[in-house]
Amino acid sequence: MFHWLEQRPFFFAVGVFLTVSFAGLIEILPNFAEQARPTVGTKPYSGLELAGRHVYIEDSCNACHSQLIRPFKNETDRYGMYSLSGEYAYDRPFLWGSKRTGPDLMRVGNYRTTDWHENHMFEPTSVVPGSIMPAYKHMFSKVADLETAYAEMVTVNKVFNVPYNQPITMKDGSTETVKLAETFDEARADMLAEAKLIAADMKNQDVKDAVERGEIPQIVALIAYLNSLK
Amino acid sequence: MKNIVIVSVLVSLVLIGIIYSYVGDIIGDDMVNILSMLAAVLILGISVGVGLKYVNQMKNDRATGTLADENWDGIGEYKNDLPVGWAVSFIGTIVFFIWYLLAGYPTWAYSQIGEYNEEVKAYNAKFEAKHANISDEELNAMGESIFLVNCAPCHGVTADGMNGKAANLTQRLDAVAVKHAIINGSNNGLVGEGLMMPDRNGLFNMNTGMPISDEEIDVVAEYVANGFTGAKGAEIFAGVCSACHGMDGTGMPYVAPNIRNFTPDLVQAVLQNGKKGAIGQMPSFKTEDLRLTDTQQRAVGTYISNLADQ
Amino acid sequence: MGNQNPLAYDYTVAKLFLFTTVLFGIIGMTVGVLIAFQMAFPELNYLFGEYATFSRLRPIHTNGVAFGFTVSGIFASWYYVGQRVLKVSMAESKFLMTVGKLHFAVYVLTILLAVVTLFMGITTSKEYSELEWPLDLLVVVFWVLWGVSIFGLIGIRRERTLYISIWYYIAAFLAVAMLFLFNNMAVPTAIVSGHGDWFHSVSWYAGTNDALVQWWFGHNAVAFVFTTPIVAMIYYFLPKESGQAVYSYKLSLLSFWGLMFVYLWAGGHHLIYSTVPDWMQTMGSVFSVVLILPSWGSAINMLLTMKGEWQQLQTNPLIKFMVLGSTFYMLSTLEGPIQAIKSVNALAHFTDWIPGHVHDGTLGWVGFMVIAAMYHMTPRLFKKELYSKSLMETQFWLQTTGIVLYFSSMWIAGITQGMMWRATDEFGNLSYSFIDTVVVLHPYYTIRAIGGLLYLVGIFIWAYNLYKTIKVGRDLSDKEINVNASPMSAN
Ligand code: HEC
Ligand code: HEC
Ligand code: HEC
Ligand code: HEM
Ligand code: HEM
Ligand SMILES: [Ca+2]
Ligand SMILES: [Ca+2]
Ligand SMILES: [Cu+2]
Repeated sequence: MFHWLEQRPFFFAVGVFLTVSFAGLIEILPNFAEQARPTVGTKPYSGLELAGRHVYIEDSCNACHSQLIRPFKNETDRYGMYSLSGEYAYDRPFLWGSKRTGPDLMRVGNYRTTDWHENHMFEPTSVVPGSIMPAYKHMFSKVADLETAYAEMVTVNKVFNVPYNQPITMKDGSTETVKLAETFDEARADMLAEAKLIAADMKNQDVKDAVERGEIPQIVALIAYLNSLK
Repeated sequence: MKNIVIVSVLVSLVLIGIIYSYVGDIIGDDMVNILSMLAAVLILGISVGVGLKYVNQMKNDRATGTLADENWDGIGEYKNDLPVGWAVSFIGTIVFFIWYLLAGYPTWAYSQIGEYNEEVKAYNAKFEAKHANISDEELNAMGESIFLVNCAPCHGVTADGMNGKAANLTQRLDAVAVKHAIINGSNNGLVGEGLMMPDRNGLFNMNTGMPISDEEIDVVAEYVANGFTGAKGAEIFAGVCSACHGMDGTGMPYVAPNIRNFTPDLVQAVLQNGKKGAIGQMPSFKTEDLRLTDTQQRAVGTYISNLADQ
Repeated sequence: MGNQNPLAYDYTVAKLFLFTTVLFGIIGMTVGVLIAFQMAFPELNYLFGEYATFSRLRPIHTNGVAFGFTVSGIFASWYYVGQRVLKVSMAESKFLMTVGKLHFAVYVLTILLAVVTLFMGITTSKEYSELEWPLDLLVVVFWVLWGVSIFGLIGIRRERTLYISIWYYIAAFLAVAMLFLFNNMAVPTAIVSGHGDWFHSVSWYAGTNDALVQWWFGHNAVAFVFTTPIVAMIYYFLPKESGQAVYSYKLSLLSFWGLMFVYLWAGGHHLIYSTVPDWMQTMGSVFSVVLILPSWGSAINMLLTMKGEWQQLQTNPLIKFMVLGSTFYMLSTLEGPIQAIKSVNALAHFTDWIPGHVHDGTLGWVGFMVIAAMYHMTPRLFKKELYSKSLMETQFWLQTTGIVLYFSSMWIAGITQGMMWRATDEFGNLSYSFIDTVVVLHPYYTIRAIGGLLYLVGIFIWAYNLYKTIKVGRDLSDKEINVNASPMSAN
């Protein structure tokens, strides 16, 4: 039979294709519905957080940092509660990473703060002597791309029904709403308001000035994102 | 050829040796560590062993068999049977497959979260058995390693705050922090939810009947920061602060915190609530975030309280 | 068997891809060495502002070596091997010739744009799928063109039965096509919203689902880029260079179909102890273990083909590359499955042991096979004698040393790191802060970088040797080319 196939390229190719498709059909498709449900307390990203997430991706922080806490005591001691599937419901793409050159960041918002990130991103060794993480000084001057972040909010809302402007139940039973503005100008103003709160906790004068002018340096967006990781 | 064997075996041994010399003492009874070392040995051992077996055949055997009719660009093909070792090993892996699915990690019974719960339970039981009545020295030792893992990234390994990037914990308070608290008030939950210190407009000097002045703030801040020394400062402190913080600054339960020394309770309050002050934000280590248990918080509190004493 | 070269094969496209194999090999691995040194000496992050930090360069390294070096090598070998084992010349079909050249042009354009966009930080972040959608479309175009070339050439073949290599090329083509399409499904945000960068997109899948699709892809990108087409190469180049018949058809057959069936199930081993369902992770583990034998089947088949040919191994550096290559293939396809076992993965995952495993496979197997294939092809493409055998010997030993340094240091680093993360003191508290586990690795990162540098020097020797062959190599007659062992000058 195999020799027969080897003389008939078409059937051979069909045979190969069926053999390799098999696993995907059985393993992947059936689980999609189950996996996609958000856990209680999981909110979509705000505009500024999303802009920060883009900075994280642009600079491939995921090359060194994971965002997945495995259910081992040593990991929950170091990073906090193990990850649950529904916590990632709004992560497009997922950012689990595959290498921990640096520590996991899944819940870094719980135990690092704006001022610490400011010091650390500017010069990692200033807070962690011996760190091999690169300094990201350019983020203190380069401006974040707010419009693309807004574009993504609109897109995931339209295409994937990500619940902006809807009450979301938090763990304590209260509800919160993440706003998606009608226009980009309005969205910009929202992001700026969020950025001002962060800049207030920062020391870098250039960053503070930029935010006053209405520009948001990448570092502010990135910190908004890092603080949202809880 | 002999050289290759010797070199391969040597490299393998040296490699395993180095790994072992590094981690030998932390392997402990952790099954994952033991299996991983075993894995490294197996990977190298089997690969080198089987590789050498074929090298031997290249040297001492000849390829024979019946050639198939076809050939491609001059490449022929023998109709030889499967190598027995290969076929047997294949069946072996299938047996492993079945064992793993049915007994190792049965799909209907195994859950990684269940495994985690067991791990935590076992740890807690062991801790209870060993340290049910943990002494202060032990708490201090325990606190030190917790500090190095969790707090050193901000406070530095010596707890000096790394040039003002976080609070210097070898000293209760510096003048900047005290000034900041007086001018802005303080609301960090140090002595309980909702108990806060008023800002300067709410602080009156009993001796003068006036709100605390700029000059008085400077003086009393220096006084507190310098370990409660200085006559002028003592006077202001008695007039403004002692009503809440006590004459000696060691605080009063449910009124105001100890601003003279660190105490385990104070540190634990900071860990539960976080703290925002002159320097910036101290994150919280709430028990429900799972990173530090109550005992661990108490331990690190003890460690810090002792630090400042030295 | 006698008349081996009845046709004038047309190697135009093979030559083009040969150049890009060497070029992208140099670029990709130079970046590899740089990032390796950056992990030991972080000051090296600041050579070109924001553009040369480790994190910007790492995807350039992985894309450069995988989709530049390796895929070029695969295409070059296809445009060489395909004609020969199907007994048909590209010159016989104008159409296929055009397709081949177009294939090359679109491919080169894609890779160049990939380098530029990755430098700019335009990436989707999904490993080995970093390129944004406009580039994905280009990838689809050149992949389809490759498919047309494969099936076109098969369509006009004279050799009725498909040789083993062809099975593997077909499998690589089909599987990558399927996986690539699924994993890169994304919605361009500018089109939906009318705002923002036109090239930005958002993944179709979220969170755990995205991870599932990503590693179903990612694992099989390894399978169908770093494995099947390379197996296609060894099944041609080793028997051809050595003049030996393939040891066992049955073993080829079982290995091939076994590999096809099992490989796709194993993707779950990248997601062990993650939030995907337990049973899928378990499947990833068990199928990985079963995968050992179909993988080893090909390697063993090749080693047995060399039975009794030890003296060829001693005298012909090309055979050395290939035999050691298949041994490293065995090493990494035993290492991978063992790392896929849950209790081992608990330690190995996220550590340097994984890059160690990766480079056992990529340097020892993929790299050596591509190097050997290009060495074998060059005299036939250009009718020139290989410039220097002694340089080849030097290259072989330098690179072998490099690989040993690379993997041994990463094994030590990975296992040390994994154990330190887990270690607890007498009270059950973590013993080491994260930075402790970074600082101890410095010596191993340094050794790895030196190992990588040795390998890179070998790559430069390879490039130089090929260049000299083409420029000043002795011209060969048709008769001299139609021998098995590649003609090479002893100097
Ligand atoms: C070359 C690897 C590397 C890259 C790239 C990298 N980091 Fe790090 N990161 C580290 C290492 C190592 C540490 C641990 C030492 C330290 O804290 O500096 C770390 C620590 C951190 C921490 C502190 C986490 C904690 O729990 O202490 C944060 C936050 C962080 N990195 C964010 C980022 C962000 C954001 C980026 C991308 C813009 C990034 N890193 C890129 C290696 C890296
Ligand atoms: C009305 C009562 C009251 C008075 C008067 C008062 N404090 Fe306080 N003080 C508090 C309370 C309550 C807190 C704890 C607030 C919190 O939880 O952050 C506090 C906190 C502080 C802190 C911050 C401790 C830390 O670790 O951050 C300092 C410093 C301090 N007081 C100094 C003073 C000085 C100096 C004076 C006199 C000039 C003074 N306080 C007067 C009630 C008082
Ligand atoms: C992300 C950085 C960070 C981490 C991690 C951190 N701290 Fe802090 N901590 C700070 C900063 C910043 C302050 C100063 C806040 C202020 O301005 O008053 C502070 C203040 C404190 C204070 C109050 C000091 C005072 O006199 O008011 C205590 C106590 C403390 N930290 C203990 C700890 C302990 C114990 C840990 C670890 C379990 C820890 N910290 C981890 C940043 C950190
Ligand atoms: C039987 C065959 C193989 C199996 C079962 C296997 C298994 C594995 C496992 C378990 C991991 C680690 C996943 C993790 O914990 O992060 C891994 C990673 C990897 N392997 Fe293999 N491996 C095999 C063969 C190979 C070969 C031959 C190569 C290359 C030539 C290769 C390249 C890689 C790469 C590139 C990664 C890293 C993926 C990432 O980015 O995380 N593997 N493999
Ligand atoms: C000169 C030789 C090379 C050196 C020095 C080198 C170095 C590196 C370094 C430092 C990393 C990052 C590891 C980390 O993040 O911890 C890496 C990753 C990687 N390299 Fe190489 N590399 C070399 C050659 C190659 C080749 C030839 C290939 C493929 C054919 C390759 C494929 C990869 C892959 C797939 C990864 C990602 C691994 C992962 O995510 O786990 N490398 N390399
Ligand atoms: Ca990876
Ligand atoms: Ca893509
Ligand atoms: Cu894999």
